Parts: sequence; structure tokens; C-alpha cells
Amino acid sequence: MKSAALPTVFIIDDDKGMRQAIEDLVESVGLRAETFASGEEFLSRRHISGPSCLVLDVRLPQMSGLDFQRRLTETGTQIPIIFITAHGDIPMSVRALKSGAVEFLTKPFRDQDLLDAIQQALQHDRAAQEQQAEIHDLRERYHTLTAREREVMALVVSGMLNKQIASEIGASEATVKIHRGNAMHKMQAASVVDLVRMADKLKLPPRQ
Amino acid sequence: MANEDVQRTLEELSRNLQESKAWLEEAQRVAHLGYWVWDLETNHLIWSDETYRIFGLTPQEGLIDLDKVREMIHPDDREAVFRTAGEAVRSGARADCEHRLFRPNGEMRIVHSLGDLKKDSSGRPYQIFGTTQDITERKRAEEALKQSQFYLSEGQRLAHMGSWASKDLGIRWSHDLGIYWSDEVYKIYSLDPQNGPPSLEQYLAVIHPDDRASMAETIRTMHEQRCGCDVTKRIVRPDGEVRYVRCVGVPVFEDGVFKAFHGTTIDVTEHERLTQELRRERAYLTEAQGLTHIGSWAANFATMQNFHLSDETYRIHGFDPRQGPTPLERFWATLHPEDEPVVKATLENAIRTGTDYDIREFRIRRADDGQIRVLRTIGHRNPVGEIGEYVGITMDITELKRAEEERERLRQLEADLAHINRVNMMGELAAALAHEIRQPIAASITNANACLRWLARDPPDLERARAAASRIEQDGNRAADVISRLRSFYKKGTPPKRETVDIKEIIQEMTALFRTEALRHSVRIHSELHEERPHVLADGVQLQQVFMNLMLNAIEAMKDSGGELTITSRPNPEGQLVVSISDTGVGLSADSAERIFDAFHTTKPQGTGMGLAITRSIVEAHGGHVWATANQGAGATFHFTLPAKAEARA
Repeated sequence: MKSAALPTVFIIDDDKGMRQAIEDLVESVGLRAETFASGEEFLSRRHISGPSCLVLDVRLPQMSGLDFQRRLTETGTQIPIIFITAHGDIPMSVRALKSGAVEFLTKPFRDQDLLDAIQQALQHDRAAQEQQAEIHDLRERYHTLTAREREVMALVVSGMLNKQIASEIGASEATVKIHRGNAMHKMQAASVVDLVRMADKLKLPPRQ
Repeated sequence: MANEDVQRTLEELSRNLQESKAWLEEAQRVAHLGYWVWDLETNHLIWSDETYRIFGLTPQEGLIDLDKVREMIHPDDREAVFRTAGEAVRSGARADCEHRLFRPNGEMRIVHSLGDLKKDSSGRPYQIFGTTQDITERKRAEEALKQSQFYLSEGQRLAHMGSWASKDLGIRWSHDLGIYWSDEVYKIYSLDPQNGPPSLEQYLAVIHPDDRASMAETIRTMHEQRCGCDVTKRIVRPDGEVRYVRCVGVPVFEDGVFKAFHGTTIDVTEHERLTQELRRERAYLTEAQGLTHIGSWAANFATMQNFHLSDETYRIHGFDPRQGPTPLERFWATLHPEDEPVVKATLENAIRTGTDYDIREFRIRRADDGQIRVLRTIGHRNPVGEIGEYVGITMDITELKRAEEERERLRQLEADLAHINRVNMMGELAAALAHEIRQPIAASITNANACLRWLARDPPDLERARAAASRIEQDGNRAADVISRLRSFYKKGTPPKRETVDIKEIIQEMTALFRTEALRHSVRIHSELHEERPHVLADGVQLQQVFMNLMLNAIEAMKDSGGELTITSRPNPEGQLVVSISDTGVGLSADSAERIFDAFHTTKPQGTGMGLAITRSIVEAHGGHVWATANQGAGATFHFTLPAKAEARA
């Protein structure tokens, strides 16, 4: 399920000259760039596919960069953000970085710094997207499990032996074995260790 | 014997007769009384020696001519004298008359003459025997007495002064006061003399209720201690009129024994009213002098005498007016040593030339607290007085001086603040512009980087590189624009210019200038101009400042809420251009709309209160005016007028 789409750099700056300059710089290193004059424009036109990152001017009309960042977090949109500002101060950059910004650059910045930050952000996003895709995959597999199988899986993950599980759920040991086999198969787990790792990723609550 | 006896008897008789005659002569001389005999047959007169003396003539033997006598009688009295004599002859009654006569030396005498008619046995009158007494001295004394009595009563009447005296043992503290009153006393109290002096109760009843108790006490004390009095009290006349009456009484002693009281009663109402009036006037004057710190004086500087020094004059120099007269030298001593020569020289020159003087400013060290005070003194020469006599005033101008300095200082401060305001605005402007400049610079650097990267490609992408380079040029121009906008604000104190200014251009410039500031506070700026390019004749830089002040104000008013800043322009019926800058912010109270343009009036904690004052001075210098109104909804609108270009040219 991995996305084959080209990495995209989204640039939001109200200054047209700046916007174009960054777009050109990004394109000069072979990346795709898309520009927006405001956060609202980005939200209305957004169609993120593939790894991407956001180059965001802190000071924007209507909604400031920091407000925009908060808005993205609230709507569950996860995208690495590189802040750029014409006059950034330390408290502002701390706030931005605490809220998950990748980098905070002051205009004028060294082109390499921006490009490095973009690369780092894209990589981060790629990894995040892959992880996101895997979890998505596991969740779909988990959904195919019956209630009994999920119950058994949870007990297996918690480290119980078949016999113990049988007495726990009031079934024969042979039945437990069948459920366990089904669950392993459906989850495509190669081993119990593999299954434990999957349960961990799915954040299934451990049984007492 | 007989002859001898007769002879002796005759001699004795003759001696006696001589003796009697001498005595008669002596008696006549002492009494200034002479006798005369008028023979009606012959019209001859016989006078005694004294009669001659009375008429200023030397006594002589023999007869005196009636015509001569007639001549000596005062012409006004002649007819009366002879008429009286004729009457006496006719009726036989005694003639009696007073008349004047002139002695030969011209002296006038007054005489009293009596004459008795003598008749013979047949009843025919033949002689008048009479006397003439010189009564000049008595007459004059009588005249003088009458005159002085007249003067006394007239004087009492004119002076509203009566006299009184106690009967026998003095004033009595009983029903009967025991006094005599002169007519004028009755008149003063408006009481009827027919009723006699009042009783104690009657007397106290006419005294004003407020003075009654003290007057009763005075009478009691006089009665008990036999001592005098000098009191002024009010009385109420029967018609209700209140008068002030002064009563002075002294005890009279004879050989150390008390005899009686004697005194005067004076109606002092007019005097008392004048005194009160004077006292009131004086109090007002003193009060006025105290309020204005102006003291009056009159003095002779040549003899160093002072005739008048008002209380305030004392106080100005640090003396206590209650301490009594203070010599002029002590006033001199308060002069500040540095100013003393000038003051003295001015004064000496004025005295020498006999002119007025005005020493506008000199310092003294106040006598009581040693404080340095600044005074001004004006002296007018007394034209009818002696050399060196001046009347004048001295005023303490310390506070005035201080206020003047303070005003000067404030004026300076205002000027400084106006400058600071500009400098401060420059600071704010610089911060705003730093952002504006940083933007194109950052863009040009980024574009340059991109350009280099396009060139570094293999093969180089020249098309993209050229595009990047041309954007660098644009960025450079953008930065240059910002700088030139800024530069127009730097000039201080340049004389106002009048040039054709495009309002729209200024609005655009200012909008660009405040873009960031406006964005930061979520303020949208837009303009509605009545025509495409409204032109005015103005100083462009100053007009920028007006816009800057008003727009900054509008943004300031909306900084917490955000909102809209609207700039409109329209012509008014007077042909002027009205520019309005409207915000949707906190608005202004009716009260502050009045004072908002005053220098130092501010509602902002950090404000200098100069922004709008400067705005007003600029607009007014352009012949327009500026005012503020509250909006229907939220916020306020500031308007100003400017002469339209066409009108300004005319």
C-alpha cells in the first residue's frame, strides 16, 4: 500500500516574491512544489498524497502560522512543518518547535538549510506515512478476526499457555489451538513474538 | 459874730459843696455816667465833665451847641433820639433811649440816655435834665455772650452733641436716674423734653437690645464706683430708626470730694457708619492685596519716612503687620545683595529727576523665613509732596515668574515631544519597515540561490536561471521602494511645501507601510475615494504624517478586536476635500472627542498625547480642520479637510 506519489513541498507565504523564490529553489533540486497565499487557501485545495512537508510563514493574514499549525493538529492532519519568518523571536520558535515543527528558519536563510530541512521533513513524513500504512494494514487484518479469535489473541499476547487460556475462556485446549492458529494466520504473524509486536502497534489493551 | 459866723458857715458850706461836687464828679467818672441840662427855651446844653469825656471831648465851662451834639450822634440813631425827646416834651414822660455816637477821633460808643422834663409853676416845660451813660463795654460783653450762646447751641445742634449733668449725688441706680439733659440730648434720643429726663427703665428701653445689658452695667458701675464712662451704643428711636450714640461722662471732684458727673452725648451714627464702611473697605482692600500679593505704600525715600505701609507690604517682605510700624531701613535690609545696587540706583535717579519708576524685577530675602522672593515695585512721585515722596505698590511676582518659567518649560517640552514623537514614530516605522525590507531581501537571496542551482545543473537550465535572476531584480526594486518611502519621513523642520499631492498615492503608500502592522492585529484596510485621483495642494511629507497618525490611531483602537479601517474622500459644499478615516474599534466618549486633539491628552498608557495635536497643527497649517465623530456602530471616525487643488490655486 506504499504510495508511489512524488514528494511535494507545500509553500504558504503571503509574499508573492518569497513564495515564488522558494518554489523555484525547491524545484531546482527536483522536488515538486505547490504555493498558497494563505492557510485557508491550502486547506481548501489540499490533496495530499505521498510524502510532503509544509514551508510556512509565521506571520500570515487572518490566521497566523502558529494558529494554522494548531488547526492542522486539531483536524488530525499530520504534516511536518518548516517555519520561516522575517522576524522570529525565541519564544515564538520554541512554541513552534514544541508543537511539532521540524525547523524554524529566519529570513533570509541559507538555501541549504531550507533544503536540508525539507529533506529531513520529507523523510520523516515518508517514515510516518509508512508506519501509518502498516498500522492501517494491521487494523484491517485485525478486523477479520472473530470475537473469540481476538479474545484468544489477547490472552496469547499476554503470555498465557493454551491450557491456561482454555480454563480462562471455558473451552477445550483443542479449540483454543484452532482459534490461535486462525488468528496467527489472519494476522499474518510468523511467530508469537511477531503477534505481540503487532498487538503493540495496534495498541491493544493487555489482558490482566 | 453874725457875719463871722455867716462867713464861717458860708465857707463851710462852700467847702462841703466843693466836696460834694468832687464826689459827684468821681461818681460820674466811675460809672461812666454824665449829666446834662437842656434849656428848651434857648436850646442850650450844659454838660458835666463826664458827659464831655463820654463824647470824647475835653471838659470845658459854658454851653455846648445842640447842632454839634446832633452831628455826633450816629446818623441812624439821630432821628430816634430827637423823636424820643420830642415825645418826652409832649407827654411829659421820661425819655429813655440807647444810641450810638461817634467821638471826634472816629471811635463809636454806645450810650444809654435818660431825660426828665421840668415844668414851671404854670405847667410850661422849660428844661430837660438827663443822664448819659457809656454802656459800650457792657453792650459788647452782652453781644459776645449772646454770640457765644448762639454758637454753642448751634454747635450742639450741628454736632449732634448734647450735654448732661448729674443732679446732686451722681447717677443713681434706681428708678430716678437723677440727671439733667440738654435739648440736644432729647433730640438725639427723639424724646420729648416736656416729659423730663427718663427713668432708668425708660432709658434702658431705648437702648438697642444687643447693647442694653452692657449699658446697664456701665450705669451701675458709674453709680457704684463714681467713675467716668466712654461708651458707644446703639439706640432705637420711637420710629424704629437705629442710631449710634457715644456717651462720655467724667466725675467732677472738688477738693477731692465727688460732686457730680458731667458729660456729653453725641450722635455718632454717620461717623460710625463711615468708620464701619472704612473698616469694610479696608478689609476688602487688605483681602484684595493679600489675594493678588500686591502691597501699597507711601514714603519719602529722601528722609526715609514711611507714611503708609499696607499689611500686604509687610507680609511681602516677611514682616508681621501686627508687630507695629517697621522702619524703612529694615525693608531695605531685605534686598538681595546682588540686586541692591540696581534698585538703589533706579530709585536715586528717580528722586533726582523727580520721575516715576518701575523696577520690574528684583529679589529680596524675606525677613521671616529667609526665602528668596521676586518682586516688582512701581512708584509714582507725589506731585504735591516733598522731594523723594512716592506712593506706589509692590507685588510679589514669584509665583507669576515661576508659572511663566513653567509655561516656557512646557512649551519647550511640547516642542521636544513633537520631535520625540516623530522620532518614536520613526522607530515604529523602522520596525515595520524592517519587515518590509527583509522580505524582498530574503526573496532575492533565495532567488539567487535557486538561480545558482539552475546554472549548476548539467546541462544548466538557463531559462529557469534567467527567470530567477529577473525576480532578483524585482526584489531589489521592491527593497529600494521601501527605503525611498522611509526616506521621505526623515527630514525634520523643513519649511512647508505646497505641491500637488495625490491623495490616493499617499493612501497606497501608507497602506503598504501599515500592512504588516494591520495584519498583526487582523485589521483590513480599504479606501473609497470619490474620484480616481483626488488632488490637493499640500506638503506631501506632512500629509503623510497626518495619514500615518490617524491610521496608526485607528489600528491602535482595533488592536485587540481586529476590524476594518476605511479611508474615504469626498468634496464638501465649500469645495474642500473631506478625508475620513474610520475604524471599528473601541470608539471614543463624547468627552474625549472634545479634548482628543489637545496636546498631552492621551488615553494610551504609553502615549505622549502628541500625535493628534501634531495632526491638527499640520491640517490647520494647510487651512483645513480636523475633528472626530463616534460611529453609529462601533468605533470612531476622524475627519479632516484640505483645500482642493483648484481652490488652493485661486
